[in-house]
Amino acid sequence: MSMLFAILFYLATLVFVVGLLQRIRTYAATPAPLKIPTTPAPTTTGGVVLRMTREVVFFESLFKANLWTWSMGWLFHASLALVTLRHLRYFTEPVWGWVAFIQPFGIYAGITMLLGLCGLWVRRLFVERIRYISTPSDHLMLLLLIAITVSGLLMQFVAHTDVVAVKGYFIGLMHLDIRVLPSDLLLMLHLMLVTTLLVVFPFSKLLHAPGVFFSPTRNQTDNPREKRHLSAWAAKLESEK
Amino acid sequence: MADITAPAYRIIPIVPALKPDAMAGKGPFVASDKINEAIGFPGQLVEDWHDKAIAKMGELLSKYRSLKVYMDACVHCGACSDKCHYFIGTQDPKNMPVARQDLMRSVYRRYFTLPGKLFPKLVGARDLTREVLDEWYNYFNQCSECRRCSVFCPYGIDTAEVTMAAREILDSIGYGQKYSNEIIGKVHKIGNNLGLPGPALIDTLEGLEEDVKEATGIDVRFPIDVKGAEVLLITPSADFFAEPHIDSLIGYAKVFHATGTSWTLSSMASEAGNFGMFIGNYDQLRKIALRIREAALELGVKRIVVGECGHAWRVAYSFWNTLSGVGDGAGEVDRFAQMLQKQLDHRYKQPTHICEFTWDAIERNALTFDKAKNDKHIITFHDSCNVARGSRMGDLPGGQFEIPRNIIKAVASNFVEMSPETTREQTFCCGGGGGLLTDDLLDLRVKGALPRMEVLQQVVDEHGVNFMATICAICKAQFTKVMPIYGFDRRMVGGVHQLVSNAIILGEEK
Amino acid sequence: MASIEVGGKSYETDEEGYLVNLAEWNADVANYIAKTESVEMTDQHWEVINFLREYFDEYQIAPAVRVLTKAIGKKLGAEKGNSEYLYGLFPYGPGKQACKIAGLPKPTGCV
Repeated sequence: MSMLFAILFYLATLVFVVGLLQRIRTYAATPAPLKIPTTPAPTTTGGVVLRMTREVVFFESLFKANLWTWSMGWLFHASLALVTLRHLRYFTEPVWGWVAFIQPFGIYAGITMLLGLCGLWVRRLFVERIRYISTPSDHLMLLLLIAITVSGLLMQFVAHTDVVAVKGYFIGLMHLDIRVLPSDLLLMLHLMLVTTLLVVFPFSKLLHAPGVFFSPTRNQTDNPREKRHLSAWAAKLESEK
Repeated sequence: MADITAPAYRIIPIVPALKPDAMAGKGPFVASDKINEAIGFPGQLVEDWHDKAIAKMGELLSKYRSLKVYMDACVHCGACSDKCHYFIGTQDPKNMPVARQDLMRSVYRRYFTLPGKLFPKLVGARDLTREVLDEWYNYFNQCSECRRCSVFCPYGIDTAEVTMAAREILDSIGYGQKYSNEIIGKVHKIGNNLGLPGPALIDTLEGLEEDVKEATGIDVRFPIDVKGAEVLLITPSADFFAEPHIDSLIGYAKVFHATGTSWTLSSMASEAGNFGMFIGNYDQLRKIALRIREAALELGVKRIVVGECGHAWRVAYSFWNTLSGVGDGAGEVDRFAQMLQKQLDHRYKQPTHICEFTWDAIERNALTFDKAKNDKHIITFHDSCNVARGSRMGDLPGGQFEIPRNIIKAVASNFVEMSPETTREQTFCCGGGGGLLTDDLLDLRVKGALPRMEVLQQVVDEHGVNFMATICAICKAQFTKVMPIYGFDRRMVGGVHQLVSNAIILGEEK
Repeated sequence: MASIEVGGKSYETDEEGYLVNLAEWNADVANYIAKTESVEMTDQHWEVINFLREYFDEYQIAPAVRVLTKAIGKKLGAEKGNSEYLYGLFPYGPGKQACKIAGLPKPTGCV
């Protein structure tokens, strides 16, 4: 069983990393031939970094759009960030100071993450417009995240697993040393679901995470009059003339 | 068309309930063989349209990062779902920006992603059938590319980019829209969207000189094709032809007169509008823009000023430097752009919006006004979508909002803002932009104007507003047409330079 | 292509009812199109239509609304030289509706 999970994890990580890098490479390699920032837009690179930071950290545009979606979405994402960082303790020895510091917050973030996810799902289920645009995969994605969160919370608050052994297993994995994984059903479920998430990531709407950084309406500087912007394929049109 | 009526105002602007297929149909008139072939598109739907369309989609995905990222990034959060004026006015769920994008995204998933190839039902992927294609034609011609949705999307997904791609694909297989394609043909052939030939243009301009002389006693000139003029004015051809557009043209001429600017129009480049953008076709966009470059080079002008036209200002401000070199900052070895940029005077922004030109003159105290001439007006300002969300004026972000307002306040005493959720970057499209300003879409246009009409009604009721100024030829034409259907006087709409024209003092009669 | 039947003869029109071949235009066709537009043709209407035809013959385009109002004003008196008068005659807009009846192509663009 430990071996099976090891193979699964290696494969999932491979798919995740290669798939994601490949996707990012495609985005980066695809030209943006025209200046299309949604204005008013920053006129300097520094300004663009700030705009992007506000977008990624505070979900500025979503805030303008809809407070319910924003609050649930932000709660979920912020909690997810904390929870993920907290999980670094299972991959580092000794545990980094700041990881140890956020540990208690990370635990409660599991609860707020669940709240956020449920809020988003309620919206998807009961707001007519959002239900209309939802595909089965949209619901399944929420279900997957909720299942990961719930299985994690159960291990935290109800049926503890042997975290020392789990940590040993993952530290081992990182050194290509397959150790024994506690055969605990909840843990198995949790890990299975996480590998699923990793595999699905590069092929699904989760690509919004890298995508936002490549969005021309957000990442372009508003200086078209001051500097000539020309993509390679557009430049060719001029040389053919 | 007499049976087209305005939808009722919402009591409080709540999100409307869905009315599926409320706007299902055939869409606007399809372009004829003659119209399509004149601009290099297949005359009618080609036999292997399916394969051609998918191939074109693949090509566009590799040429436009926007399209590529936007096809992947949407999470169906619904932030945009209640932001489109056409959705608000029609309640058709396919007019929600996300649903409109999904018309294409579903096909993208089917042909370009692994999950869509393996589990189409699960991820909402669809084959490109004839029904889907017809749906594209109908609903991608119900988007005015106003970008309001892109303001609210957490990933900045711009439905305009998707609509442009869809129309580009449709054109490439011979399924183009009559209104836009016919107009593009006229620009190439005659030099402007109207098809106004040189002699008619000259006759119109001479008539204007007479009119202004009669009204003011001053010889204000409307020069055309003058070599060596300092300023080349590029303005929408509607300014030569339609009401109230022409009053703003008179306003520009008076500003040039009062500032002692030598200026000229061009009979070759007698159009600011560029419908190449509406159909998402880079070649057309570029070819139309190159007419202006050619005119500028030929006339040897130092500055290029653009008249009141919303999408034209987006193209001029954001794209001209890329397309034709009208701008600054080309590389040393960029001979194509340098050829023009060496000629232009870079103490000024190139291109300059007429509002920037006028506001600059006002700030220099080069213009004087008799504000009382506008006292009969209680004025509000409608931000035009392309100016608001696809361009800038002046040095600071948001100058496109401040400068026109500053001008109005400088030439008139009574100015009132409409509700802030509907102005500046959150402004609503007039309902006729993006190549939809055609009589066969009048029902859609009337419905799309609903959110603007609602807030206009508010300021009419509360402040007695009787004039809505705007700086876009499409807005002017659209409002003139649809406002009477909402019970407003069509003369309530006009240009910012119409107000300038009313109040400007030109000096003593000679 | 669509067409209309007037006096036993068929005339080709575009989707919106504008005459395709403007040489075919005659008074009967004008009256017919006017009827479909719910416009009751009077001498005042004909003044406008005739001016449009003349202007088109010279310039290959319909006149700007302003040019039209000025010409009508000169011919029929200043009180008629305004767009209100023209809208009174052609409620759907003097530009498009009058052009249609006069058998001229529809003005395109942002008008």
